[in-house]
Amino acid sequence: MAVAYVKKRDGSLEELGRTEVIMNCLDPAWIEKINVAYQFEMVQLLVFHVYDVDTRYHNLPVKIVTRQSWSLTIKLHNKNGHASLRNLGTITVHAEETIASRNAVEIKFRCSHLDNKDLFSKSDPFLRISRIVESGGSVPICKTEVVNNNLNPIWKPLTLTMQQFGSKDNPLIIECFDFNSSGNHVLIGKLQKSVVDLEKLHKEKMGVNFILPPSRHRAHEKVLKGQLFVDGFSEKKLYSFLDYISSGFELNFMAAVDFTASNGNPRSRDSLHYIDPTGRLNAYQQAIMEVGEVIQFYDSDRRFPAWGFGGRTYDGSVSHCFNLNGSASGFEVEGIEGIMAAYASALHNVALAGPTLFGQVINTAAEIAGRALSCNNSKYFVLLIITDGVLTDLQETKDALVRASDLPLSVLIVGVGGADFQQMEILDADNGQRLESSTGRIATRDIVQFVPMREVHGGQISIVQALLEELPGQFLMYMRSRDIKPLDANAAPLVPPDQGHPYPIDKSSEYRISHEA
Amino acid sequence: MATTSRALEVTVISGEGLRLNRRRPVKKNAFAVVRTNSRISRTTKTDIDGRSYPTWNEKIVLEFPSHERFLTVEVHCKTYSGEKVVGAVRIPATDCTGEYFPDNYLHFLSYRLRDGKGERNGIINLSVRFKVPENRVSPAMCGGGAVQWMGGPLAVEGFSSEVVIGVPVWHRYKY
Repeated sequence: MAVAYVKKRDGSLEELGRTEVIMNCLDPAWIEKINVAYQFEMVQLLVFHVYDVDTRYHNLPVKIVTRQSWSLTIKLHNKNGHASLRNLGTITVHAEETIASRNAVEIKFRCSHLDNKDLFSKSDPFLRISRIVESGGSVPICKTEVVNNNLNPIWKPLTLTMQQFGSKDNPLIIECFDFNSSGNHVLIGKLQKSVVDLEKLHKEKMGVNFILPPSRHRAHEKVLKGQLFVDGFSEKKLYSFLDYISSGFELNFMAAVDFTASNGNPRSRDSLHYIDPTGRLNAYQQAIMEVGEVIQFYDSDRRFPAWGFGGRTYDGSVSHCFNLNGSASGFEVEGIEGIMAAYASALHNVALAGPTLFGQVINTAAEIAGRALSCNNSKYFVLLIITDGVLTDLQETKDALVRASDLPLSVLIVGVGGADFQQMEILDADNGQRLESSTGRIATRDIVQFVPMREVHGGQISIVQALLEELPGQFLMYMRSRDIKPLDANAAPLVPPDQGHPYPIDKSSEYRISHEA
Repeated sequence: MATTSRALEVTVISGEGLRLNRRRPVKKNAFAVVRTNSRISRTTKTDIDGRSYPTWNEKIVLEFPSHERFLTVEVHCKTYSGEKVVGAVRIPATDCTGEYFPDNYLHFLSYRLRDGKGERNGIINLSVRFKVPENRVSPAMCGGGAVQWMGGPLAVEGFSSEVVIGVPVWHRYKY
């Protein structure tokens, strides 16, 4: 029989499920299916053990979902991880997205009688919906826009995919915050409801009260006057992120590194650019690794443009977009290891200077994304900017972002070090204030995600995970707004197919994973 | 020589945060006017009860003469005391073509509206697309993503300016 495990960050294996035992057979074809929850924001390492033949296979990355046929055949290794001289056979893993995950719900939220948290005006409320994860913490899955100055806000409809909420019975945490431009949003109230509960609220046209959790001043939780209503609730079927990816869509990764002097001399131990000889990664390396190692699987040629900005290059002038690999002609490097190598060598060849300006890098990335549109519209670009500081010219960056906002491009900004990143919250446009350029043009959509490296979401969830969680949503928003369908849209109808299924469709035989400890 | 013009498809989608006299939000009866110059203009239907967030979703096709550099969009409101211009914006033609976009790209654009005194007054959301004549051969143009051209890219990272003719081949994405 075969047992599937997921390899966790600490190296331990957690069983996902097992097939049935097939006796006396050297070419077993198992029937049992194992369900795995696909999460874009992490690399999910699957390990398969085949028992009774006393062999073991290591490390099958989640890359399986980007293969056209969703099947992968790998040679089995023995216990020690070596492919032995004796042919131990191969295991073929076939994956498919369960039809249910094309389900989505569109919900219209409204609140009444919210508490006022602002001094001279009314609260600027927005909702944040989070999913509770195994470790007990919660991961935000989406936010509404901010409604200014209103204690009875009505938000635009929010679309939640099954991918995001898991199952309709999963409890979701809905928090209502008062937006503050400093980033310290004040909690107005929270409550916990599942999608099924929200549907019921809509049907019964009832409201549910917000609660304030116990705090320093109060031992018990307080039920508030503010209520949440579900004015609209409809289910739809949407092409999922995996539908696009498996049909050939790609994510192209690009990276830009801050070479301004505020990072500190790279030779000094407390510089943000210090390369530790023991191999411990500095903040820049960590960010590149964590984002890159997820996205690289979605990029077919693994050639990544990489730039630096704010540094003084060999010709003595400060550049705000120089090739990290030091080459005069090409800005691409091979693989994540290529980015790391180019970064390390650039630290020797480029002098830290300043000021901190993103505009040129964003313009260059936008140009690449725009030109790619001439060939096909199945590439989506992700620009990672890692910076330690405060922007010198916020308007220049806004202008570049507004010009890029109609392109298949997302900009992920990671802030390292201890600076005050208030400006980045403005760029992240979470307050509902869409970015405005100096020419009066307004950003078509919010393409920026920002996260400060120091924010820790309760241990198990890495900082970067939170950043990447929103990427499939931004990708889908772009594709759906233009009605771009997966490449083989005719072959992948939204109605579940009954024929051509290699395994019998018998829901009762599905092996459900349990996430309980 | 007669001036050439191209057909421009403008879909006026919606407006946001519109106010009259800088204080009172628009209550109803807002509509948009799209014009390329003083002679060519089109009007959308009126949104009767959209308040200060009217939705039109109306597609307008008009001729955009090549020498014109701006597309003007105005939002008007019918009030009991007559028709008032709530705000307007002049959109550069270059925003409708974009610097490195394919010719027939559908651009989703949004702009800040300014009233008669030049004060900010709301946002207008629209989409524009230049209609490309059917018989025009464009080596770089690919429709819908289903048929992909196997020829070389039109411009390689901005360095080459040669034109390459590709031959269309049915190309299923191969990993």
